[in-house]
Amino acid sequence: MSIRIGTNSFEHRVQEGIKNDFMRGAVSSAQGRFRSGRLKAAEELGNWEDWRTLGEEIRNHTMENLDFYLQQLSDQVSKRGGSVFFAETAEEANDYIQNVIKKKNGKKVVKSKSMVTEEIGLNKALEEAGSEVVETDLGEWILQLDEDPPSHIVTPALHKNKEQIRETFAAKKGYDKTDKPEELALFAREQLRKDFLSADIGITGCNFAVAESGAVTLVTNEGNARLVTSLPDTQITVMGMERLVPTWEDLEVLVSLLTRSAVGQKLTSYVTSLTGTRLEGEVDGPEEFHLVIVDNGRSKILGTEFQSALHCIRCAACINACPVYRHVGGHSYGSIYPGPIGAVLTPLLDGYDDHKELPYASTLCAACTEACPVKIPLHEHLIRHRQIIVEKENKAPKAEKLAMKGFAKWGSSPAAYKMSTKMARTALKPWTKDEKIENGPGPMKAWTDARDFPAPSKQSFRSWYKSRRKGDES
Amino acid sequence: MAIQNRESFLNNLAENLGRSRRKEGVERPEWSVSPQWEVYQGYSEDQLVDVLEKQCKVIHTDFRKTDAAGLQDVLKETVDRYQGKSIIAADDSRNQEYSLDSFYQRMEADGVEVHIWDAGKGKENQVFAERADVGITFSDATLAESGTVTLFNSKGNGRSISLLPKTYIAVIPKSTIVPRITQATKHIHEANQQGHEVSSCVSFITGPSNSADIEMNLIVGVHGPIKVTYIVVEDK
Amino acid sequence: MKASLFITCLCDIMSSDVGKDTVEVLEKVGCEVDFPELQTCCGQPAYNSGYLKESKESMKQMMRAFKDSEYVVGPSGSCVAMLHEYPHIFKGDPEWEEAANDLAGKSYELTQFLVDVMGITDVGSKFQGRVTYHPSCHMTRLLGVRDAPMTLLENVKGLEFVALPVKEDCCGFGGTFSVKNPVISEQMVEEKTEHVTETGAEYLVGGDMGCLMNIGGRLTRNGKPVKVLHIANILNYQ
Repeated sequence: MSIRIGTNSFEHRVQEGIKNDFMRGAVSSAQGRFRSGRLKAAEELGNWEDWRTLGEEIRNHTMENLDFYLQQLSDQVSKRGGSVFFAETAEEANDYIQNVIKKKNGKKVVKSKSMVTEEIGLNKALEEAGSEVVETDLGEWILQLDEDPPSHIVTPALHKNKEQIRETFAAKKGYDKTDKPEELALFAREQLRKDFLSADIGITGCNFAVAESGAVTLVTNEGNARLVTSLPDTQITVMGMERLVPTWEDLEVLVSLLTRSAVGQKLTSYVTSLTGTRLEGEVDGPEEFHLVIVDNGRSKILGTEFQSALHCIRCAACINACPVYRHVGGHSYGSIYPGPIGAVLTPLLDGYDDHKELPYASTLCAACTEACPVKIPLHEHLIRHRQIIVEKENKAPKAEKLAMKGFAKWGSSPAAYKMSTKMARTALKPWTKDEKIENGPGPMKAWTDARDFPAPSKQSFRSWYKSRRKGDES
Repeated sequence: MAIQNRESFLNNLAENLGRSRRKEGVERPEWSVSPQWEVYQGYSEDQLVDVLEKQCKVIHTDFRKTDAAGLQDVLKETVDRYQGKSIIAADDSRNQEYSLDSFYQRMEADGVEVHIWDAGKGKENQVFAERADVGITFSDATLAESGTVTLFNSKGNGRSISLLPKTYIAVIPKSTIVPRITQATKHIHEANQQGHEVSSCVSFITGPSNSADIEMNLIVGVHGPIKVTYIVVEDK
Repeated sequence: MKASLFITCLCDIMSSDVGKDTVEVLEKVGCEVDFPELQTCCGQPAYNSGYLKESKESMKQMMRAFKDSEYVVGPSGSCVAMLHEYPHIFKGDPEWEEAANDLAGKSYELTQFLVDVMGITDVGSKFQGRVTYHPSCHMTRLLGVRDAPMTLLENVKGLEFVALPVKEDCCGFGGTFSVKNPVISEQMVEEKTEHVTETGAEYLVGGDMGCLMNIGGRLTRNGKPVKVLHIANILNYQ
């Protein structure tokens, strides 16, 4: 798997999403819960806007000095017995990790949830190299067993119901109990415990690394990341190059923003900061630690007007606030990063060719921008993407380009514009019945397929205004 | 240890940022706001205990309050409630200070298997922890706002103790309670600046493990402990 | 106080009553209102579609049209929010930067102008009926106007107000979105109209004509009896 999921067209994916009643019900109720949780958590703090400002300032400073902080981070990790590999591409990262596993003669890999490893297609690469890879986050495990991509960056199996999960467990793991969530989870606990105890390699993502001391912080609820980093003798952590903070003081601010924005919790059950290898005399933790820092297209975003997209802390607040996501679901985006942030990031990381529809999958209602805990102007980035698609990529439809040329003439010519205010009613008359249009011509059809279009007023504002002025004068 | 590909990687970042490499001299600016310090500012220890107690309800954690003399009884009640037949506990200098040593002896006399973490025994510790009913550690810093115990895991306080057993008990000396994570990370930041090595694993633990991955239903108890009790104890 | 009406192209072409009511409300509260006839469209349809160059042509016309105005007042949160973007768009443009700052600095949405500039919370209108209100996205999130419409509605005599569930959700209009992604737009407006119907209101009121045309068009298509009014209509009702 890489960033792109599936091969169907955007229109096809959207149709599929809209037809999927269960998914839409699940997403809608999840969004409702996430949203009220986030708002409540923000309200409890009282000064949420100050928190967002602080988060934005920390992210901004970190990105402006990313080379410095990554150097500091790697020095600190190295000092604490860890190896650091800077990977410019997904292939470099995957190759390095394969080699580490090969050298350790590793057979079984346990993984905690990580979006960046999805992005670089790590599981596939490792399986091809002969490793057994087990996802241990409950949602990720369900998807792995069912060979299904994630549809949400925090709750990846949001689109599945418990009956589907029961069937998957039964077919793939011989599960014979009910579809009660508690029983399903207990089964996962028992099954995965065996994997944790027998694994030789643990692989994690990274929510935030701390440059000043070389710690890698994982934010979870289930405890699987703790198991992945406590039991196997080798730990490999893969991080997107932007996922770090300067100091522990900054760490707590971003963790506080993350947990509140993601799940409405003050902190998740486990926030675990790991530094290097286990120390002398310690039993738990890895004796060998590798940190893989991944670029994979991110550096191209630095120094551009999209730089703040790298501030993202993967909380999914924008996804949970997005009305388009609610109706079409995560898979419609055709990217492992769905929703507004996905529509911004995916074309940046993977180009416009396969993803040119994404920037338009938004009404620009700005609910995403409002929800973002680090103030990424998501809807403005979507407009920037559209500008690039029109001006640089030249991927806009011809008819649209013509229409917009016409717009420029119309908008800059008061006479032409005034004429349209006069003529609109007459021009639409052939289609108008009972002061509304039910079957509009040309581009209006897309509108009238779903809703009526009103007939323009009988008397134009301008003629009313003119006659009124005359009245005043007389 | 080895650092590979760093120079070209970081040079590329600097280039994209439109400037030369920054290898030193970057100072964190004063942030324009500091809302994190306003949370429960000026609260007394007792007020913070109240905050913690309330938060425990949110995080599905049992909360008990006692003094040094009552600690053994509260611990025993909790272990009994968890039907604990085996206990794994950290090797901590506070075991003696708070008479947990004698508590463990008492439990053993009652037929409960007790294993105090012993670095010398290597992986045996993990094996015991994996089948233990109860794990017991002290909290090194307790965050009232979120209901979090902080463990600086170490040679004597293995990560497994608070992770592998079915249930977990955190003994919280009242003086470890601070308003929120801000105070704990400031402490770590300052210690690091003074050249003290940060623990290989700092665990911020907030109640039992849980998941909402199945239809957004909250399931308490997934990979980590299923039940958790916090016992706040007046300092000796 | 002198105010220039920025009617917005949508009202200019489609809904002259909103323009008339805006003029009359402003006059009622003591403004001297003029209508700069050279005004066209704020440029948003092109700008939001990625046609920066084309949108700027229209924006320049707007700056020319309103250059002598003291205040510019429009019955749309979205279009006024667009005017407020001009300073970013023309930043560093020696010819237009100043004009952009000037226009943005003196432009207000109708209710914002009445409450925040004029200090008026009651325009003295009367309206009998059960009313719900859709706070449009650009008015609230981009322009930051949340309370002013509510304050004014509260003081309309006879008006019975009923809150709209999940009111902050977009109606699915989104300008060109409604024709570029009609399938998604339909689902969104359907959900919005369901919420409107749930309230049992006789009237749906809003401050942006685009959203109102979208929701209203869906309501009539589904045969729902809810009538759609612009807030200017209500504020000028006797």
